[in-house]
Amino acid sequence: MSIVKGRLLLDVTDKVIALTSELSYDEYKGISAAEFFYRNREIAGFSNPTRALYQTVRELVENALDATELYGVRPSIKLEISLDSSDPSVVTVKVEDNGIGIPKEEVPFVFGRVFYGSKYTLKQSRGVFGLGIKMAVLYAQITTGKPIYIKSSTPSAKDIYEYELLIDINKNIPVILNEKVYKKRGNWHGTIVSLTIEGNWSNAKKRIEEYIKRTALIAPYAEISLKAPDLEVHFPRSTKALPTPPKEGKPHPYGVDLEMLKSLIARNDGNTTIKEFLLRTFDGVGRNTVLQFLSWAGIKENIPLKKLTVEELEILARKMRDFPNWRRPRSITLSPLGEELLIEGVRKILNPEFVAAISRKPSSYSGHPFIVEVAIAFGGGVPVVDRPLLYRFANKIPLLYDEGVDVSRKVVDNIDWSYYKVKMPAPLAVIVHICSTKMPFKGVGKEAIAEVPEIEKEVENAVKEVARRLRRHISKMEKLFETVRRRVEIEKYIPEVARALSEITKLDQRVFERKLKRMLRKKVLTLKEEGVVS
Amino acid sequence: MRRRESTKVLRKLERVGKRLAKLVLDGKEPYLEIPVRTLSNTIWDPEKRMLMLGPRKARRRFFDLNESRKFMQTLLMLSLIIKARREGDYPTIRDLYYMGKHTIEYRDHLGRLRREETWRNQRESNSVIQDIEVLTGLLREQMGIMHDAKGKIVGNIVIRSKGYLIDCSRMGSGAYAIPPNPDSLEIVKVNARYVLVIEKDAIFERLNEEEFWRKEKCILITGKGQPDRSTRRMVRRLWEEYGLPVYVLTDCDSYGFYIYSVYKSGSISLSYESARLATPGARFLGLTVSDIDRYKIPRNFIIKATDRDLKRAKELLSYPWFASEAWQRELKLFLKRKEKVEIEALSGHGFKFLSHRYIPEKLKREEWIE
Repeated sequence: MSIVKGRLLLDVTDKVIALTSELSYDEYKGISAAEFFYRNREIAGFSNPTRALYQTVRELVENALDATELYGVRPSIKLEISLDSSDPSVVTVKVEDNGIGIPKEEVPFVFGRVFYGSKYTLKQSRGVFGLGIKMAVLYAQITTGKPIYIKSSTPSAKDIYEYELLIDINKNIPVILNEKVYKKRGNWHGTIVSLTIEGNWSNAKKRIEEYIKRTALIAPYAEISLKAPDLEVHFPRSTKALPTPPKEGKPHPYGVDLEMLKSLIARNDGNTTIKEFLLRTFDGVGRNTVLQFLSWAGIKENIPLKKLTVEELEILARKMRDFPNWRRPRSITLSPLGEELLIEGVRKILNPEFVAAISRKPSSYSGHPFIVEVAIAFGGGVPVVDRPLLYRFANKIPLLYDEGVDVSRKVVDNIDWSYYKVKMPAPLAVIVHICSTKMPFKGVGKEAIAEVPEIEKEVENAVKEVARRLRRHISKMEKLFETVRRRVEIEKYIPEVARALSEITKLDQRVFERKLKRMLRKKVLTLKEEGVVS
Repeated sequence: MRRRESTKVLRKLERVGKRLAKLVLDGKEPYLEIPVRTLSNTIWDPEKRMLMLGPRKARRRFFDLNESRKFMQTLLMLSLIIKARREGDYPTIRDLYYMGKHTIEYRDHLGRLRREETWRNQRESNSVIQDIEVLTGLLREQMGIMHDAKGKIVGNIVIRSKGYLIDCSRMGSGAYAIPPNPDSLEIVKVNARYVLVIEKDAIFERLNEEEFWRKEKCILITGKGQPDRSTRRMVRRLWEEYGLPVYVLTDCDSYGFYIYSVYKSGSISLSYESARLATPGARFLGLTVSDIDRYKIPRNFIIKATDRDLKRAKELLSYPWFASEAWQRELKLFLKRKEKVEIEALSGHGFKFLSHRYIPEKLKREEWIE
């Protein structure tokens, strides 16, 4: 373990690899790049040219956002998609950000070495291992043979550097085809990445457009533009506020398994006692708690780590998961958007008549903290639909596929909307953002959240809370409409009545009109106060 | 209309408008108190033997969502009538309908441009004229409002209208058209034993061709179906001022029976006019249900009564002004037989049967009902 720029980093080791259940470095050792890619393409979302293009865009945009907002930089992201003039299935995706850049010496590894975990930390971010980008590099390598192009500079760097890379999958090392360094003139920092892959733009277009739109919704503080052959969208930054970046955190005992425990122990001196190890390594563990736990588990507090057998470690891991009295995981590792930003984003993209948002208190499942944020949008620019439109986000990533099996879809569909005065079809959209250090995805596609009871309950409570606010709004509007309707139904006759009175009395018609109007407004109000008008 | 009378009428109408104007200027909600013109507020006066308007009044408030439109219509009509009175015009009810009909444009609560007619049809404008009548106690004729009078009169009677003498026994094949306001007529001379009111114009024309009135020394009147006010007023005057017995001849069906009752007792919608229009002494000469057997009406003239006929007959059965034994018997018989007959059915015995046999015989034997 090493500390780089204040971040907890784990190098590429087999211990880290053990943390992922899907891919194993041991497994891929000695196989060809194509084979590695094909074995894992479903997981990484590269199953066909349409999906692959979408996935590539996602990887690049999400890296760009992580490189900016996590470090307090307001993101400006430019996405360009262009087709080869002679073969439209050869697509180049280029993304530029104004982020913190990548230190020159790290660039080849970040893009050219599988499981180079620049992002593996215990805090919320969009990607984890940065595996996706390497899959994209491999996909490009296999389909078009084109290397990845990177141009980057950190704020403190005096140079700008460019690379063209491929991955040697057998050795798991980057192959540098081209490297250029030149003096920085201005103070540009950020990263430009360009990949040429086989893709199907006309099929992926709608999804990519939707993805960008939703990304702009969840990140209203970002400026995002997309330039493609027959499409150009630009979402200006609509607020200067940034969500508080997440802080580093320690793992919580509830979330521990044997492999993780082993890797964490390996980072300690063998003479460290188990008590000290627990105290130092985990979140939610204080002096009292640790003693309580050890006596509950029947483990002596002074056993040094090196004395623990694998069997004892297994028991320890299980006991840690079962102990009922750990403190709740802290949520400092999370970076929710917050109600104001969520509302801002929804306003910006959906332009509804009414919007309400709630950012729930942190909660946890199996030791992983999570926060549910929900917004509801009604009327205005929201399209009228038979069942509520759902916008799902996981750690600020829009989820576009597999909506039908997502926990939020289930919650939203189980709600009787008529109770909230919404008569479907209606212009109703529900926006669900779940953030967690470990997202319980359903299946390999990472596009749907599983029905974890704790999360389901939180989503349900959050949706109901904003739905209640919507109901209050609708009631208010109904009352207002009723009052106005009643007034208009009478007011429309005032000119005629005033004209008749003027004809009969020879007095000025306008005096009668004015008097009647004033009286009517007062009268309708009184009716409302008396409860005559509901 | 005489000048002084006209001024009085105008002042009365203006008072209603000025009262409303004052309410508005004082910052109070304008309202009208209008006697209710529905069946529930129509009372059978057994002494007078007439339908009279009951005591119930309803407030028509401008700021009441259900009354607002009617309030506007009432005031619009009031201003039209006042204007006509001021200028000495005599509009018909149809004229008033057209004069007041225009489109109100407004934006509804959702901001949509909407249009609304001040009144959709003449029934709406007629209805507020009636409201103004009961509200002011002024009859429409007094307010100088005309209508398409459809009543006709012929027989031994001389009338003076606008200074011209009209002898109704010298109309040739035609008849004198009763004007909208029969009170403007002066009856100069009557030389008749009775008045025969005939429901149907065709029968009236046939009897006139025969000069039935000369032979029988009577006066013939028709209101062409449901009679208008001027026809009824004319019948009433002859009964009241000259003591002539009045006999009514209609088809034998619920509608014929009801038309008789309108002449005799007044109608539900115009019950406030009964005192001026009804002829409580009017007698029903025929055709009665029992006439079908008595005069051996040929089968081919007998028509099956419709559901509507039967429903109407049941209603009549419950009206106090059909409570007499004779009427109860006739109506029950009608409901039992479920058959109706037109006056023309008597022609089954020859075209002259009605004038030479049926009417004279019935009168002689006093076979009418009341």
